Order: sequence, then structure tokens, then C-alpha cells
Amino acid sequence: MRQSAGQLARPALGLGVPLTSVAIALALSVAIIAVSGGDAVTAMSALLAGAFGNEMAVSATLEAMVPLTLVALGWIVAVAAGRISIGFEGQILIGGTLAIVVALSRLGSPGPLDLLLAVLVSIGAGAAYAGVAAWLWAVRGVNEIISTLILNFVAAAVVDWLVNGPLQEPTHSLPFTSRVPVETLWPKIGIGPATTLDIALVPIAALVIWFVMYRTAFGLSLRMVGANRRAASLAGLRTTALSVLALLISGGLAGLAGCSLVLGAGNDRMSSGFSAGYGFEGIVVALIAQNNPMGVVPAALLFAALRTGGPLMQVEAGVSSQVVAITQGLVILLVTASAFVVDAMNARRRHGAIATQA
Amino acid sequence: MNNPFNAFFVVTSLALATPILLAAAGELIAERSGVLNIGLEGMMLAGAFFGFLATSVSHNVVVGTVAAIGAGAAFGCAMAALALLARADQIVVGVGINLIAAGLTSFLFEQIYGGAFVSVNRMGAVPIPGLSELPFVGSTLFSQPILVYAALLSFPLTWFVMFHTRWGLTVRATGEHPAVTDTAGLSVITTRWLATMIAGAMAGLGGAFLSLSLGSFAEGMTNGRGFLAIAAVIFGRWKPSTTLLGCLLFGAADALQLELQSAPRIPAILWLVIAAASFAAVVVSIRSSRARRKYLPVVGLAVVVGLVALVLSYVEPAIVIPPQLWGTLPYVLSLLVLAGFVGRARMPSALAIPYRREIET
Repeated sequence: MRQSAGQLARPALGLGVPLTSVAIALALSVAIIAVSGGDAVTAMSALLAGAFGNEMAVSATLEAMVPLTLVALGWIVAVAAGRISIGFEGQILIGGTLAIVVALSRLGSPGPLDLLLAVLVSIGAGAAYAGVAAWLWAVRGVNEIISTLILNFVAAAVVDWLVNGPLQEPTHSLPFTSRVPVETLWPKIGIGPATTLDIALVPIAALVIWFVMYRTAFGLSLRMVGANRRAASLAGLRTTALSVLALLISGGLAGLAGCSLVLGAGNDRMSSGFSAGYGFEGIVVALIAQNNPMGVVPAALLFAALRTGGPLMQVEAGVSSQVVAITQGLVILLVTASAFVVDAMNARRRHGAIATQA
Repeated sequence: MNNPFNAFFVVTSLALATPILLAAAGELIAERSGVLNIGLEGMMLAGAFFGFLATSVSHNVVVGTVAAIGAGAAFGCAMAALALLARADQIVVGVGINLIAAGLTSFLFEQIYGGAFVSVNRMGAVPIPGLSELPFVGSTLFSQPILVYAALLSFPLTWFVMFHTRWGLTVRATGEHPAVTDTAGLSVITTRWLATMIAGAMAGLGGAFLSLSLGSFAEGMTNGRGFLAIAAVIFGRWKPSTTLLGCLLFGAADALQLELQSAPRIPAILWLVIAAASFAAVVVSIRSSRARRKYLPVVGLAVVVGLVALVLSYVEPAIVIPPQLWGTLPYVLSLLVLAGFVGRARMPSALAIPYRREIET
């Protein structure tokens, strides 16, 4: 696993690679739309309108950035320590579940303190769920890729059961929980009808993670563990503990994303499957950002726009919004393949240099 | 109390297990060669859709099946190209393949058919001469679409290829120690590529069964079965015999859950099965761990579970397991096996690690 984690955590290849990949992916998507008989121009303009066209759209796009950013940052932290966790979907679900439970239980009176409690609990819950996979890895040697993947399904099933069972709303007719009182939700801020305070998490979390990873000793230790485990261990670092901690932090970030999803953006209740693919898209956002915390924000903006613009494409241009999923998949494949292209180019340059020297 | 383990249960188990069996057989080969093919779900979905599409156009189920295999193999090819040539991370590529497959199949389904329910030719049942005339079971158990028999046969076939052919040996070596294969003059990339394409083709075939046994397509109809196949390979500890068992077990659990949905309580016989399974797990644990004291708490827990189940089989409390939680059973079992609580699991050493030849410059 070391080799592949190292490859993922490589330093920035520059802005050109991700931008080109996105451009190619969009071009291919346009081609697919055109070939299948749709109106590509209307589709693309509908996509833009759906993402930024009016206050509602902008608000939705900003809100979608929150889970994407948090998950991407979680991935970055885990990968920096050499662990590949793909369990964010499950951690989002568990974090959101516990946030809802706290919010509904009204431990304090409904209000900001309850929200704070829900936030803290969601972080703890996400971290604890990641801790299951971390424990399995540290103590039983279970590959964390597989365990986190499997735990996603377990979490999805549990949430599905809760929303249709113990946590179901009083009339027992809809797959939702009861509504959370408005005082306990993320408070609304000016921009648009449904923008809530949780969008502040985007710049704050990005800055905090960047600072911790690149300006603190702890961040340096994490990166050393990820770069060369054996050397880090010989240098006296407790590699297993640090890796576990990295997984816990990434889980906590995903849990926070869950809290934002269930209590933010004007939502006030939990439904089944509310993680809605954010757990995997966040990974893609991180990859496009070359695993750089500051690059996560623009990449998250792009993917949020794709997400929110998609449905309008369907309405206005009659093009299935599924084309967005195709675009996302293409971006993933192109970004990962581009690393190879850059490698090959660099290798040729090196060979050229050696040849001229000799 | 009524017995859910009837002929209908057996038939349903087989039908539910078939796509998983097919995909898992291919995935087993791929993972033994060192490729962790997370994109299996997308390959199965692609097979389901393109099989459906081809059948709808040609009105021929065989053409549809071939198209499904082709679609799955094509996605397998894409996976192989990115994971082996570009040396991209296999997990990420798999996620990308899943996204593209889901998006592409849904997109095409909506564009071509408008998302409405479309009915195409169904796979017919093929009765086995002789056996299908048996009373009670014959007409149900031995008169299934041909893919069901193929799915069951795919595992002995996989076993034979993996352990009694030269190529199978190469595959296994590539998964454990690719440098050895390279040194022997065989291509690591070609071996893994072929293994990945086989996994894609088999998954496509499984997808074809999904859509063509039903006679229609629904967006996202694989519904996690590809991941179940991966879980089955893990549960089976990367061996054909136990993987086959795992697939059948998962299919049975699914069928059981369907049968018990309307039951007021868990029947006694199921508690007995749980008890038997716990004790079997204890035996397997003890046999493979020998004198390790670490296993004692787990073994103790399994004994307790077994005893409790025995008691409950007598008492028959009015408990019902919610279907959603039932669905976690395959995954929980796989995790338990992975964690080494039921015998030892050794995954192929080179799994998911891109191979780089060490060149001296």
C-alpha cells in the first residue's frame, strides 16, 4: 500500500494538469450530449444557470461545497499519513445521524448550544466510525481500503433502518426523521434563501488543515509517516498511532460534513442516503486539488457547480442530468491518468539531460 | 413453526446468488493477479444495460448476453489501461469507472427509452433432462436459466484454471510477487490486463442475468451487487471453494430476508442455523489459531452466541430482524473474516500495488 499512497500524496504538478483534465472531460461530455441527439449549447448554459444563475442556485452551490471540502480535507489528512480511507460516505452518515439524534433530543434547550453540541458529537461520531476501520488496521492488520469500503454499506443500511424505524417521524409514513426545531439548525446568513453559516466551514477548515499539515510539527510528523514509514519509525515517531490519528481526524471531518448536510442549508431532518455520493466526490475534489488543502476550495466549487447545475440541464435542455456523473467519472480518470503522462514527460526530459551530459 | 428453507427458498437463493457468483469468479482471478477491481459494480451495470439494449434491438437474448460480456470486458479494459499502464491508483480508477458506468447507463437509458419501463425478451428456463422431472424440486430447482448453471460451474472452472494451468500459476505469482513473474520473462501487465478483462466480462455476464432474467432494465439495478461480489471474494479468503460458499451464503441470506419479511417472528429453525454457524466458527477458529490466547475472547463470544441461539430456538421470541440490517450480514461477515476472527485470511501480497520494474539508471 505504501507505493500507491506515495503516488497519491505527490506534490503539486501545477495547475495545468487538473485544468486540462477538467476541460477535456467537459469537452467529452459535450460530445456525448451532441452524439445522443441533445442540444449541447442549451445543456451547458443550463448547467451554468443551475449553478450560478440566481440566488437560489448560488446558495445551493455554496452549500454543496461544504461536504465536498470537508471530505477532501479528510482524504488529504489520511493520505498524508499513508492511509487510503474511502469510508467517508459511511462517516458522513454516522456523523449526521448522531447530530440529528442530539438535535432532536434537546439536551440543552433548542438553540446555538444544542447546535454546538451536535457539531461536536458529529465530529466525534465520524471519528469513532473511522476508528473502527483504524482499529481493524492497527490491531488486526485489515487493509483499510477494504474495511472502510465495507463499513460504508453497513452505515447506509443502519441509517436506512433508523429512518424507517426507531428514528422515523411520528406519523410513521415517510422515510424521514422528525423535524429539528429551527433554533438548533445552522443559522441562515444573508446570501440567498437557504445559505447557512456552515459555508464558513469551507475557508476555515481549508486554512486550519493547511496550517496544521504544513506549519506544525504534528503535520510534519504525519507527512513523514506517509512519505517513508520506516524512516519515520527510526526517527522515533510512533507511526501506527499517528496513522490511526490521521484516520480519526479524517473521520471527524466527514462527520462534520454529515452535520452540515442534515442541519444546514435549510434542512431540518434526516433521510436515508443523505450522503448522496459526497463521500466519493470529495475524494475526487482532493485529487484534482493535487492533495493540496488550499486547492480544495476551487476544486470543490467546480464539483458543487456540476452537482447543482445538473438538474436544470434536464429541465431546460431535456438532457439527462446523469451526464454530470459521466463528467465526474471522466475527470477522475483523466486526472489519475495525467499523472502518468507528466511522469513520462519528466522521464524523457531527464533522459535527455543525461544524454546531453554524456 | 413454518420452515422457510423450502424449495422456493433454494431457487430464490440461486437466482439472487447468480450475478454475484459470476462476478466473484472473475474478481477472484483479478484479485489473485494483484488488481483490486472496485469498478466491478460499474462493469456489472454496464453489462446489465448493454445486454438489455442489444436484446431490445435484436430481440435475441443470446446477442444481448454477448453484448453484455463485451461491455463488461470493455470497461475492464479501461480499468486495466489506467491501473496498469498509467499506474493510477486502482481504487480511484474503480470509483471513476463506477461513476461513468452509472452515469452512462442511466443517461443512455433516459435518452433512448425516456426512462420508462421497457420489456424485452427474457432468458428462458433450461430444464436439465432427467433431473427436472424429479418430484417437487425438479421443475423449480433443475429448470433454471442457463446462466444459473453457468454461475455454479464457473467456480470449478476458475479453480481448475487457477491451480491446474500454467496461466493460473502465472496469475497467482503475479499477485504475490510480480517481480518473479517479470524475471521469468512473462509480462506482469499482460497477465493482470487479461485477468481484469475476465473480471469485467464475468461481471458483465452477471449484469446480463440481472436485466435479462427480469426482461427489463432499471437505473442502478445492480444496487451494490458488484461490491457484494468483492465482499464474497474477501469472505472466501481468495480461494474458489470458500468464495463459492460465500456467494451462496449471501444469496441465501437475501432470499431468507425476503421470505421472513412477512413472518411475525424468527422461526426456530433459523435460530438453530445461527447456533450451528457459531459453533462451526468456533471450530474453525480453534483449528487455525491453535494455542493463541488472543482468540479466546472471540471464541468465547461465539460460544455464547451459539448457546443463546439454541435457547431462543426453543423459546421463539417475537423478534423480527429489519430487512435493512439483514442486508449488512454479508458485509459484517466479510469484515469478521478479514479481521481474522474466523480462521486466517491472507490477501495476495501485491494486491492493489502498481508494479514498477526496478531499472538501474
